[in-house]
Amino acid sequence: MSQPARTASSVTPSRLGVRAAARPAARPGRRRDLTALCVVSVLLILAMEVASRFVPPFIMPSPLVVGQAVLELLTSDWHHVSVTLLRLGAAVGFSMLVGVLIGLLMGTSRRLGPYLNSLVIIDTGIPALSWMLVAVFWFKDPEARIFFILTVILLPFYALNVYEGVRSMPKEWVDMMESFRPSRWQLMRYLVIPHIVQYVFMTTKSVIGYAIRMVIFAELVASAVGVGSRMSLAQSTFRIDYVLAWTFLLVVLNLVLQSLLNLAERHVLKWRAEAKVR
Amino acid sequence: MNPTANSTANATTTAQGDAFIEMRDVSKHFGDFLAVDQLSMTVRRGEIVALLGRTGAGKSTVMSLSMGTIAPDQGTVQVGGVDPSREFDALRGKMAVAFQTDRLLPWRTAVENAELGLLILNRSKAEAREAALHWLARVKLEGAEHKYVHELSGGMRQRVSLARALAVDPELIFLDEVFSQLDHVTSQVLRRDFSRIVREVGKTCVFVTHRIEDALDIADRIYVLDAPARVCLALSVSEQTRRDPRALADLHDQIAQAIGGDTESADHDPNYSENQDLS
Repeated sequence: MSQPARTASSVTPSRLGVRAAARPAARPGRRRDLTALCVVSVLLILAMEVASRFVPPFIMPSPLVVGQAVLELLTSDWHHVSVTLLRLGAAVGFSMLVGVLIGLLMGTSRRLGPYLNSLVIIDTGIPALSWMLVAVFWFKDPEARIFFILTVILLPFYALNVYEGVRSMPKEWVDMMESFRPSRWQLMRYLVIPHIVQYVFMTTKSVIGYAIRMVIFAELVASAVGVGSRMSLAQSTFRIDYVLAWTFLLVVLNLVLQSLLNLAERHVLKWRAEAKVR
Repeated sequence: MNPTANSTANATTTAQGDAFIEMRDVSKHFGDFLAVDQLSMTVRRGEIVALLGRTGAGKSTVMSLSMGTIAPDQGTVQVGGVDPSREFDALRGKMAVAFQTDRLLPWRTAVENAELGLLILNRSKAEAREAALHWLARVKLEGAEHKYVHELSGGMRQRVSLARALAVDPELIFLDEVFSQLDHVTSQVLRRDFSRIVREVGKTCVFVTHRIEDALDIADRIYVLDAPARVCLALSVSEQTRRDPRALADLHDQIAQAIGGDTESADHDPNYSENQDLS
């Protein structure tokens, strides 16, 4: 499974020296993205339909059958979807909060910073699978297992990106703030925290897809409730239509979450000039 | 009259007045590099003093020493009767800086940037907003109060930065090459607006620059710094001198000679003497 990029590369466009464009210019781009998404989806469905005519249904069912399975799952398995969503929300929220705090400490505390940095770097080297297996030994409660697995995997992304964010803060802003002789808390409140918001957004956007894959995987290993466990059940009962239906729903979930994040980002980071690179 | 000879005498006399910044034999090293060498200078309350010198002459180090963000290796620095680096918090709210680059926070609008200093000084939100709006109006930014930084031009940004410094109602304002990154016309307009405002409110102002005409246009007194920073020439510029193009040209030549021949300012400002006539 591919992991999202860990290093923050998002700098404000003005610092990149890229030409800033007026906001409405981005709209046609978004429409183009949507059209492309529709075209690719239709092509995939057509490919499935064609394949289903040449192979037995347990290898590739027709998209119509999968569509029926989706409707079935949406009425009968709503409980499992909400459990998965709750797990995802809790783990992402917690990792964000603690990861941001750790990242801030890494960037601002000379004494603690290096130790936390080492800890996070070591954590990033541990494969997700190791955590999943270890969690089965350490925790009896499936909720604790899943929460633990997701947190140890997601937290370093936040910590490292926020740390990068603090380090990339222009020194001249700090000097400007210092000229008013602020307290440490004021420096955080007026400078550091607003500056890292964009890094938190960037991290969330890049980990959300990964987090969905991880929560499904963790549920498959550690739980009897949730989308992952339902997929495992579908596989063991040879219901490939259910497996594909769940896959479809997860893809849609990822798209919806990404769109919501983009919407929130556009609202919160409206101060940014959108860059247009030729 | 020879304005320069007079001025040097004046500089010494004023030093004995109500001194706000007093530096005595100040030296500062950065590793092996000597940035400030036995510098002595005085800034009196209510006057505008220019620190003029070439790039690398240690002007900004002198400013940092006065602000207390660095401490001298030798000598004494007193600002408003206290040592600014040792008693850092004693000068809270008493000084403000406008920098070469605007240093505005991009997630704050013009007015939110202008009120930043006041919020740090724990003024109420309403009071800070009122003062920020007042100062934005005084630097001629009505109508742009709620624009984000990327929506403002370079000159407008620098005006917001000046409003941010003035809004805290400081006793001392540092201007660190504030006009040097702007185009000639913008810089000139801003310079005049700003010196008018500073004179109206009667603030003490230390103005760091490498442009001779900027210094002659604004300052009551000019300290010309050599590298490493020490005063190689001190002179006063009276309003009368400012209106006399010949006296100004004399001062200009004298300063240019003190800082070593050719000056960037002369290249930048071909209409120099005409500009002086206008003032």
